[in-house]
Amino acid sequence: MSRFFIMIKRELKSLTKEKTIVLAIIIQLFLASFSSVIVVGLMSFCDPASIGQNTRIAVDVGIVGDTHSRLTGFLGERNLRVTVFADAATAEKAFYYGHVDTVLLVPKSNTGVVNMKLILPELDSKATVILMVLQEPLKMYETYLREMNGIEVNYTNLQGKPPTTYEFLYSLIVPILMLFPALLAGSIVIDTVSEEIENKTLDTLRSAPVSFNEILAAKIFAAVVVVFVQCFTWTMLLRLNSVYIQNLGLVLLFCVMIGTFISFGAAIIALCFKDRERSQFVYSIALIITTGLSYLLNPSPFNLIARLATGDHYTGIHHLTVYLIPLMLLGVIFFIWSEKLISAKSIN
Amino acid sequence: MKSILVISKREVTRLRSRFRGKSRIVVLAVVVLSVVISYMVSQQGFVLSKDFYAVGVSPDSGVTADERFNVITLDPVDGRMMLDEESIDIYLGGDRTEYRSDQRSQYAAGALRQYLEKRELIRIANEYDIDKAFPLRIEVNHLKAPEGDVGTGALVSLWDVMEYAETSTAPATMPEATVTSNTVVMQQLDKFRGDSRLPEFKAEFASDKEIIIPSLMSPPIPLAQVIIAFCYVVPIFFVSIFFTSSFMEEKINRKLNILLSTPVTPFQIIMGKMLPYIVYSVIITIVITLLLKGNVLLALAIFIPITLFILSIYLTVALLYRTFKDQTFFSLLAVSVITVYLIYPSMFSGVSDLSSISPLNLAVQMYKGETFGLAEYFLATTPMYLVFSLSMLVGVRVFNEEYLMGFRPLYSKLGEAIYLAIDKNHLHLSVFFLSILVIPVVFMVQLASIVIAFNLPMPFALLALLVIAVIVEEVAKSAGIAVLLQKGVIKSLKDVLILSFIAALGFFLGEKLLLYIAMSVISESMFTAAIFGTGLLVFPLIAHFVFTSIVCLMTARFGVKLYPVAILTGSVVHALYNLYVIGVIP
Repeated sequence: MSRFFIMIKRELKSLTKEKTIVLAIIIQLFLASFSSVIVVGLMSFCDPASIGQNTRIAVDVGIVGDTHSRLTGFLGERNLRVTVFADAATAEKAFYYGHVDTVLLVPKSNTGVVNMKLILPELDSKATVILMVLQEPLKMYETYLREMNGIEVNYTNLQGKPPTTYEFLYSLIVPILMLFPALLAGSIVIDTVSEEIENKTLDTLRSAPVSFNEILAAKIFAAVVVVFVQCFTWTMLLRLNSVYIQNLGLVLLFCVMIGTFISFGAAIIALCFKDRERSQFVYSIALIITTGLSYLLNPSPFNLIARLATGDHYTGIHHLTVYLIPLMLLGVIFFIWSEKLISAKSIN
Repeated sequence: MKSILVISKREVTRLRSRFRGKSRIVVLAVVVLSVVISYMVSQQGFVLSKDFYAVGVSPDSGVTADERFNVITLDPVDGRMMLDEESIDIYLGGDRTEYRSDQRSQYAAGALRQYLEKRELIRIANEYDIDKAFPLRIEVNHLKAPEGDVGTGALVSLWDVMEYAETSTAPATMPEATVTSNTVVMQQLDKFRGDSRLPEFKAEFASDKEIIIPSLMSPPIPLAQVIIAFCYVVPIFFVSIFFTSSFMEEKINRKLNILLSTPVTPFQIIMGKMLPYIVYSVIITIVITLLLKGNVLLALAIFIPITLFILSIYLTVALLYRTFKDQTFFSLLAVSVITVYLIYPSMFSGVSDLSSISPLNLAVQMYKGETFGLAEYFLATTPMYLVFSLSMLVGVRVFNEEYLMGFRPLYSKLGEAIYLAIDKNHLHLSVFFLSILVIPVVFMVQLASIVIAFNLPMPFALLALLVIAVIVEEVAKSAGIAVLLQKGVIKSLKDVLILSFIAALGFFLGEKLLLYIAMSVISESMFTAAIFGTGLLVFPLIAHFVFTSIVCLMTARFGVKLYPVAILTGSVVHALYNLYVIGVIP
């Protein structure tokens, strides 16, 4: 057993020595920041309610025409600055001088369909923001007009928080962060295995008093240790950004399971092809296939991590056990066939 | 040219030999399988947040058919109890909803609100007249600010038309505006009914004269950009495995020695190895553009620089890595850098002007049917060409056996690369051009630092950005001189000062040139302003010179070992200067 640990130490050492692990962490920090930029910057655009609430964008709205409609009040409720203009010419001037960002032309008659005109600046980015901010008060006015028409709209008082960012964060960003180390582990396993084969150091290693399976197990174990350390660090970093992962133990356990599964698969590929180039290529395509197939599972790995991390009451350890079966199966196959695979000629 | 083709042919043969016989069948099967599965999954519809919220509903409130909800039918008493126990997130009983004040329950309420709003809209649309159900229609008009002082009268005439339409129509008939907007409502309603939760991708939010219905309006999401990026860039990423491996194989099999002893130049070798992949990328670009029905020539003009850029980044990877694991991590780093540089800014296409630095933005505009000017084209593509020339230049210079096979720390490998890149007979010219060529790299690092700094709260983010920007610039300007000092090529303080000035001048000119192009495209961006510093001309040049000479003189005096300290000192002075210019320090 102590030989096994020496082997693991050897693998871990080679990882830290080349400072590659530092790179790995930088890459993931990149990935995380990149995603969070998208979350904050862009998802708010998908959520008109959150752009009004989360960002303090001051929009000055000018109104021409019927200035006493309920719309003026709704705009005020949303903290928009409303300026009333007596005629279109003054409004136009104010718009060109930049005193107001947008102008609403509201028809004076209030019966039947209300056909308004909205004046927006040419600049795409600004127009988008203004439109997003205006959507909520306009919807309120629309509901009001429906009520005038005798249509009752239910559930208008249900508020809650806009869930887009929350869902995006937990169902996409957190699973990506948690599963990325597992993907990396597969790459690492391919590298260490094919490096030993291509540099012919494996033969030397095999003459030492360790079994071939021990060598492979040590390589896989080392990669999985790295998965665990990275995932744990991620959860701590997320905590600093006040994103809390519920069921932490289960989430980490699941990531380690996925990491082990992928590492077994990667090692099999590397043993079959015996060179890095083809192994990495086949590995990346195999990953696409596995990811696609895993989506058909219920819950899929992404979904399972998301539900565990949000603390869903109906998700728990029993979901993990389902994943244990393919993992053990692959492990057994791997250890039975490893000798055969390495002695066989590479696929040509 | 002939030797390049010979080497290209050799590369293609090498690649072919990798996939022969049985392995070709295996790989083909795997690729076909991946395509089939991707198609199958895409047919399934894509819901990420499946069973995200536990929603309790009373038997009479109708089925809540939304993938996000795990629906449990409960009577009100049980519902309230389970809500308190936190085993459901929200309870919907008839027209009433109950939820807690904690985060999860609040978000569940928000999600249920989205769902119920939609359900209500469809109910109303089915039960009532379209005029009554959707009583508010808004026509969007984009108005351009006029050149002079006076308005164009466009707004006034819009208003006049509107008022005329209102007063002139007899009350019995429907106004013309309502007739046209009715058809629009029908169209939007059809889309609304049919859609999944994913909004359609629309490059522009509301175009001119478009009629919007507040409750049916869906916001733009940058899906188009992501899809364009995926279609074009991902196939090029795949190539990288083979391109970088090609060099690794030569290293392991010691074939490089043989190759280098033949009368081919390093440039021919690199170009020859790159050519098949460039051809492949061009074919991919043409095929995808034809599939998406774009303009092939325009697409090539946009994507050839991108291809060259990506391949040149991978060339650097191929030249720098030492082990297999290096190769994996460097490649991953390269993918992230490229993604951040290309995809991140283009996400903001139509939202922020920062997007103009990404050439993908040009592609987005192309597919939107918008035109872009030459200045925009050059702003986006010049950095691509510069990075390509830089890595080709360095690649050709370092392409010798000793450098490629040597195993030493990364910084020393980088230093050696800079040393080899400098032409010792034309020191001044080399330092000058190195300074210019390195600017896009500096820019990329700074852009990446914006992304990372985004994690910090606002004042710290700006500060971190300032510090990183300054350090990167100082390293960029002084690295060449430091290497020359280390190798003992320059010794006298006078030489150090002259070279410092030249490095500062090169950097300054390149920066201002980029700024000049950028100014004509980008109008407002706080971050670009922070990075580029401020506009004045002579003073910044002197300042650049001062900072660089501080770094270089310190390195000359105390040795290269203390180079980091010298960089730090120069950066502190630089940062203080920047703070002064921005006006933080009076």
